[in-house]
Amino acid sequence: MRFASSARLAAVVAAAALALTACGSGSSDSGSTGGAVDGKGKKLSVLTGVNAQYSAQQKQWFTDIAAKFKAQTGADVEFETFASANDELTRIQTSVVSGQGPDVYSLGTTFTPTAYATKAFVTLSDDDWKKVGGKDRFNPAALGISGPDEQHQAGIPFVSRPFVMAYNKELLAAAGIDKPATSWDELAVQAKKLTNPATGTFGLATGYKDNFDPWKFIWAMSVQAGNPLVDGKNLKLDDPAVKKAYETYFGWLTKDKVVDPASVGWSNSNAVAAFAAGKAGFLLMTTSSSIPTLEKSAIVGKYAYTTMPTTAPGESSPKGDGDKAASILSGDNVVVADYSKQKDLAFAYIKLITSKEEQLNYQKIFGDLPANNEALKSLEDPKLKPIADAAAKSKATPFTGAWGDIQLALLNVTVQSIPELSSGSVSDSALQARLKDAQSKAQASLDRASKS
Amino acid sequence: MTATATAARSGSEQELRPGSKRQHEVTRLLPKPMLAIILGFLCALVLIPVAYIFLASVNSDIGVARGEFLPSSFSMENYSKIWTSVGLATGLTNSVLVAGTTAIVSAAMSVATAYVLVRYQFRGRLSILRGLLALQSVPGTLMVLPVFVLFSSAASYLGIQVIGTQWGLFITYLTFALPFSTWVMVTYLRGLPKELEEAARIDGASNVGVLTRIILPLSWPGIVVSAIFAFLLGWNDVLFASVMTRPESQTAAVALQIFGASQEGGAIPLYGQMMAASLVCAAPVVILYLIFQRYLVGGLTAGGVK
Amino acid sequence: MSTDSFREARTADVPAAGAPQPGGGSVPPSGRSVRRKGLSERNRPLWMLIPGGALMLIIIVAPMLLGIYMSVLNLDQYTLRKWVSSPFVGLENFVEALTDSPLLHAVWLSVSYSLIAMIVTVPLGIAAAVATQNAFKGRALIRSVFLIPYVLPSFVVATVWRTMFQPNGVVDSALGTFGIDPGLWLNGPQTYWTLILVQIWASWPFIYLLALSGLQSVDHEVHEASALDGALWWNKLRYVIFPYLKGPLSLAFLIGMLHHINNFTLPFVLFGVPAPADVEVLPILTYVTSFQSFRFGLSAAMAFVSLVLVAIPLFIYLRAVKLDDAETPGGKK
Repeated sequence: MRFASSARLAAVVAAAALALTACGSGSSDSGSTGGAVDGKGKKLSVLTGVNAQYSAQQKQWFTDIAAKFKAQTGADVEFETFASANDELTRIQTSVVSGQGPDVYSLGTTFTPTAYATKAFVTLSDDDWKKVGGKDRFNPAALGISGPDEQHQAGIPFVSRPFVMAYNKELLAAAGIDKPATSWDELAVQAKKLTNPATGTFGLATGYKDNFDPWKFIWAMSVQAGNPLVDGKNLKLDDPAVKKAYETYFGWLTKDKVVDPASVGWSNSNAVAAFAAGKAGFLLMTTSSSIPTLEKSAIVGKYAYTTMPTTAPGESSPKGDGDKAASILSGDNVVVADYSKQKDLAFAYIKLITSKEEQLNYQKIFGDLPANNEALKSLEDPKLKPIADAAAKSKATPFTGAWGDIQLALLNVTVQSIPELSSGSVSDSALQARLKDAQSKAQASLDRASKS
Repeated sequence: MTATATAARSGSEQELRPGSKRQHEVTRLLPKPMLAIILGFLCALVLIPVAYIFLASVNSDIGVARGEFLPSSFSMENYSKIWTSVGLATGLTNSVLVAGTTAIVSAAMSVATAYVLVRYQFRGRLSILRGLLALQSVPGTLMVLPVFVLFSSAASYLGIQVIGTQWGLFITYLTFALPFSTWVMVTYLRGLPKELEEAARIDGASNVGVLTRIILPLSWPGIVVSAIFAFLLGWNDVLFASVMTRPESQTAAVALQIFGASQEGGAIPLYGQMMAASLVCAAPVVILYLIFQRYLVGGLTAGGVK
Repeated sequence: MSTDSFREARTADVPAAGAPQPGGGSVPPSGRSVRRKGLSERNRPLWMLIPGGALMLIIIVAPMLLGIYMSVLNLDQYTLRKWVSSPFVGLENFVEALTDSPLLHAVWLSVSYSLIAMIVTVPLGIAAAVATQNAFKGRALIRSVFLIPYVLPSFVVATVWRTMFQPNGVVDSALGTFGIDPGLWLNGPQTYWTLILVQIWASWPFIYLLALSGLQSVDHEVHEASALDGALWWNKLRYVIFPYLKGPLSLAFLIGMLHHINNFTLPFVLFGVPAPADVEVLPILTYVTSFQSFRFGLSAAMAFVSLVLVAIPLFIYLRAVKLDDAETPGGKK
């Protein structure tokens, strides 16, 4: 409280001082959009995800950015971190309800539609876009999940983190595979060649108990088969393409037997560990954030990344938007809170962190791809090539406030199937029933979304 | 007053000081083999998982993710890394400050409240006692949002900044600790004889006098226990702390949680550092308990250790 | 005498309740309180109740009422920002919670799991308290060791057990050496027992602490008297010591149950969301409803319904054990 009141006092004093100098000089540009924002004595609050892998670097980055921002605008930035998507949700809700909290939030892409639905974040006007450096500074693909349409966008792309797969070059060569698969069917064939239960080596590494991965597989395979899940007001989870996707995904374990039987209880991190120990040919659904782990592991120098298959199971070539659905459009957007009293300052901050220079710097430290178009194009590292490819082939998940529930329903099908998975097979009727349940629950949520 | 208290302890106890051999034999509750079995079992129950935490803290993260018990590699560096990566120092300071104050204040308030509830009759006494228990059953998930709304409106309407301050957290924990702390004291105070108080009253002691000079010295075990509970409530809470703190007022539990929860996308959580940090976080509480546990000796039998 | 102490305390509402009570038990705890007095009514320092009362009113009761108010609103992500003006839907949320949600199943899971965990932790806690009551070398250390599970933050406990319980993890390999294949711990029907197991591990020290404080109120003379009787250790515990624990343990049982029922972190970190259907306990359900599906109104209604459902047995229990009325130490016989 003492702190707060002294800060307020400081703000008042600074504002007074500002007013005085403005009068004195008589030539202030009255804060028009073109000029630099003057934030002397102000403090911008930014909420962003914690980066446990690079915690020291992240702290350093906070300090550096704060210093640069101070130099540009005279204002301070205070960074706060949240642990997980769940923590962030709690923070957003409490802030939205009370109209008090951080000025700028960093959001995962799939959460942007839900955040947009609360109407608690600024939908950028053309003028606002100019304040963050112009819409054309961003990679157009990265804008795909910023809003329901081009005129209504709230999320400003910050980084891309597309999903790719990693493969063990040595194991693939030993099995006589010269090129990683581009269709899911072919992947299963290759995985069979790589599997050798005697040595504990399996073709694929993935975690069935992960809290996010399963729905991404189902989404990708369905989209590639021509079903984007949401069609206007209708949800299509009871579609044969979705069922086929689950059968394929479960089949790796039950029919093909190309994954470690223990992976029914794995999360993504266990899969990374297995791959890092050289026990798997492919690591599915991973991002560039696995680099630090793999670089320190037994397979350093023996692995490479590539895009995941884009041809749906049972198909010979991608349907519809399929070839653009190698990954969900993944990464971080930043949004500005509607209740913020210093929006111009917030925009100035976003302009700073999405500049080419800062984006490249961020990429160098954390490995995430730039959302800034120029920065993205200037990347030359061959290792990043497949990841950049995947970024270009990323497709946005449906932009609806109900997406959270749809995602949850998709995931729930896997969660409730795990006991059967571990005993060897998921019966057709059980899967059918779970899909039906998922459909009705998520459709109800979609109905509420379209009503409001 | 001390004289009264001493006199009240009957003379026959004089040679039966706590710790004397005879006293030990008389108060023995369990035969030796039984004692050994129970202690052995319970220690194993606690220590095996704790040993696992320790071994994981010196193991590599990949090793932990692959399910090793004995580490395949050994390194103590996690214990030095956590101070910068988790931000444990700030967290621990805040936790000790907030949980410690909560413990002391809630113990003091609950003794007073429990004393009134146990020794005096008034309309609504039972309702208060039951109401306190009912408050215990309110789920935290129901409370987070409304409490936050309340505190943030304190800022907008009264100009009092609560969110993000240590004392805001303290007030919250204090309130949530009070019902249970009070109940612990109620059950404890019921066990104290009234004669001492009556004697003191005849000597002309006031209510406050009775409370501080008779009740307090006799209630240490109850006070310590209720303070421990209040302390741990603040120490372990993540739900409220995660929405009500800012980086500079973050508690250790939140710092740990932020560090421990892995992000979307495929990297192995830093198990080693997290386990090391949890052990380091548990240490202050265990040490505090080591210090205070001597007060857990019977207030009456031991004559109110001072 | 405790049989009619409830009635007695009722009549104590009338000032003159000072009727002498039969001294009761086989072992009189001490020479005191053969003649029991009614509670004092003179010179009551009721002001001592004010600070705590005010705090609880402002920080628990007021937000709770606010929460209840939210339960009659159609409060979701579309109306959240201007929540005060969200549409009023009356009892709709309650109807949905009771008829079209897994709420009742969740209540059943929560209550049954809490009860089972409680039934195991109580003997463990008492055993620990009794075993560390008499001084021996290293007692201070052991007493502190016993506290560790309770001192570790819930989410650490859950993370540790989750890593230990993962397929092919430490627990499986340990059991494997005995030729036991336990199956899945973190999915399927067995999750229910996993949750109970971890809950027991984490919460028995709670019982232990309360039992320990109860043991301290045993008078020395009681020990002496039973020593003179030459009572066997088991009889001594059963008839002499345990009655002293009744009060603290009744309280511990109640509060422990509530802690288990409201424990969110443990199931959340152990199993994640969506949780397997066998461990979709109350806090998980309300959490998912409010923080994943954003249906705050519905979630508040669920929480309120569960509050009522839990409060009813709570008060039946209160009356049964006379926790609120017992005026004598630990309700001695």
